[in-house]
Amino acid sequence: MDFRDTPEEAAFRARLRDWLAANAPADYDAAADHDAKAAIRRRWHRGLYDAGYMGMAWPREYGGQDLSPVYDAILNEEVGASDGPPVPGQVNYLGRAIYTYGSEEHKRRFLPSLLSGEIQWCQGFSEPGAGSDLAALQTRAERNASGDYVVNGQKMWTSGGQYSDWCLLLARTDPDAPKHKGISAFLVDMKSPGITPRPIVLADGEPETSEVFWDDVVIPADQMLGRPGQGWHIAMTTVTYERGPADVGMISNYRKTLRAIEETAAARGLTARPEVRERLARAYVLGEALRLNVAQQLSLRVSGREPGPEGSVGKLLWSRAEQSLYHLALDLVGADAVTGAAPDVLAGYFRSRPISVYGGSSQIQRNLLAWHILSMPRKPSSR
Amino acid sequence: MVLALLNDEQQMLREMMGSLAGSVGAGNPRDIAESDRGKGWAALAEAGMLGLRVRDGSGAPTGSGVDAMIVAEALGGALAPLPYLGSAVLATELLALAGAPADLLQRAADGAERHAVLLTRDLSGIAAADDLGGAIAFDSWGAAHGLALADGRRLVRVPLDGAAKRRPGADLTRELARFTGPAPADAEEIGRPLDPADLDCWRALGLTVVAADAVGAMRAALDGVVAYSKERVAYGQQIGSFQAIQHMCADALVHCEAASACVSYAAWAADEAEPADALLAAHTAKAYTASAALDVAETVMQVYGGIGHTWEHVAHLYARRVLLDRQVLGDAGHSLRRVADLRLGEGPGPEEG
Repeated sequence: MDFRDTPEEAAFRARLRDWLAANAPADYDAAADHDAKAAIRRRWHRGLYDAGYMGMAWPREYGGQDLSPVYDAILNEEVGASDGPPVPGQVNYLGRAIYTYGSEEHKRRFLPSLLSGEIQWCQGFSEPGAGSDLAALQTRAERNASGDYVVNGQKMWTSGGQYSDWCLLLARTDPDAPKHKGISAFLVDMKSPGITPRPIVLADGEPETSEVFWDDVVIPADQMLGRPGQGWHIAMTTVTYERGPADVGMISNYRKTLRAIEETAAARGLTARPEVRERLARAYVLGEALRLNVAQQLSLRVSGREPGPEGSVGKLLWSRAEQSLYHLALDLVGADAVTGAAPDVLAGYFRSRPISVYGGSSQIQRNLLAWHILSMPRKPSSR
Repeated sequence: MVLALLNDEQQMLREMMGSLAGSVGAGNPRDIAESDRGKGWAALAEAGMLGLRVRDGSGAPTGSGVDAMIVAEALGGALAPLPYLGSAVLATELLALAGAPADLLQRAADGAERHAVLLTRDLSGIAAADDLGGAIAFDSWGAAHGLALADGRRLVRVPLDGAAKRRPGADLTRELARFTGPAPADAEEIGRPLDPADLDCWRALGLTVVAADAVGAMRAALDGVVAYSKERVAYGQQIGSFQAIQHMCADALVHCEAASACVSYAAWAADEAEPADALLAAHTAKAYTASAALDVAETVMQVYGGIGHTWEHVAHLYARRVLLDRQVLGDAGHSLRRVADLRLGEGPGPEEG
């Protein structure tokens, strides 16, 4: 057991910190609106790429550096602690999906621009009738006379749908197969006729995600990723695979938020109150529990073990930590949260709520732990 | 490279301790009464577990904080009625930090002589030698002497025989004795005075192994009830197939994993980090574990249902074990206040580290 950086990692971290101090955009949090933020994120992605920080754990042949996932974790950690936007989240798992399941043509065509950020991607997974129960998705991809696929349906929670160039889409290609088996994955140009993204404004008032309507969208057959029916497998393995290192960014972000809340408490003269001190300490403890659980998960990854259902522990810890942190923030600013005097706290509170919903709700995570870690029996009806 | 996992040797120690602990543990109150503690203690001594915190020629402990954590977790999980925490960790670490004579430490490592630390009445810290009335010798089975601090820094030992009375505490597996004698005239000073950093190191290790004991109990209690939930049938189904039961157990698992991650880091930090950082990590681990452990123990009793609330059942033994672990070296609130002090600067009100 050793929680220290190796000399190489420490040197990398120091270089990265210097680079971030000089290059992280300081105007991100204060950016006027979502369009402005999206533009900053695009430039940020390119900046990280030019400095050699994207796809570090990718194989060399696909433009990576064959480094340990620890370097991605350090990147996420340091970027999370800086003023910059987060590390572009989908690059690693999309990259893994494409270089693991894609054809040579896919790899040549999509990997370089994915890495550089020249092409921005979104994921078309969830639907109005398929959230936690993702495999219930109904969007259909049917072959036409010329052998292309024609897609019809509606996708929900497509983050950045309105700003993306391409989409990793899950659609049902075999309605007669069992629900997990009839799904295929596609790589789709968002400029294809028939695709209509519409922003979804979330409870905090921001259009952070979108719904996307797919009406007779034609996808050339060679843009299927993997084999027909392999879509569920591709989506699940790649998404699970990329959790660990990216989670580290949320943790340094959590620590940054906690610091800000501690400063708020100090500025309001509350840090002498015993109950405030205990709650701030509890928020720190919950953050540490999350950080150290993720460190264990990352260590498993580094030691070559495939990620598994134990990732649900981290998701539950993260939801709990972040949500109780904003309960604390609400209590500290009191009426200011509702009289418009502390809009950041109110917005942060509403952003913390769906954490226990997206990426698999807390209830689903508990099911997964009970079934796959504790080996508790699933009822026949739930199969 | 972040290696937050046990290495191969530590993994081997865990396996070895798993089987050793199984042979000295308890499954119900009768086991505890009939347990041959002497034999169990000898087995721990023979395996080298009692001398882990004795210093080698270079002044380093022969076993790391992580090793001590592994042993404590195994013994906590087995509900072993042996004073490993009190004697082999809390007392031996104090003796070693003070530079106690080599022959005394050797006897401790051999299992031939035991000390118990005298804790303040609220169990939150070491008792002062001039104020021993009501002090509690923790985990005092077979301890001839109790350790206390004079002037906040000089380690002294006082005979317990005749001066301390055994008390039936909540935990049926570990003995407590209340000091009733007058302040002893013959308190014997041991080694050199301890400086504040020594005491921080001691407290960091102590909090960590106490929390590790609780983590072992939490995990074992959960494992037991999950196994039970797959056998017990109600309404024609295994109760473990009910989502209400599954979610309770999943939440308990999250508590176990989170507590264990915090305790592992604290155990590593106890030897490897600066004393202030080690202390912060230890209080963090203790604060988390102290509140999570009872939660898990209560969940376990609930899932067992009626049978889990009977005297002959193992469930209350876990609850009793963690009730004591929660209090030793301070409860969750105590550790949270120390975390706040370490992060926000000293707060109001006098309290010792």
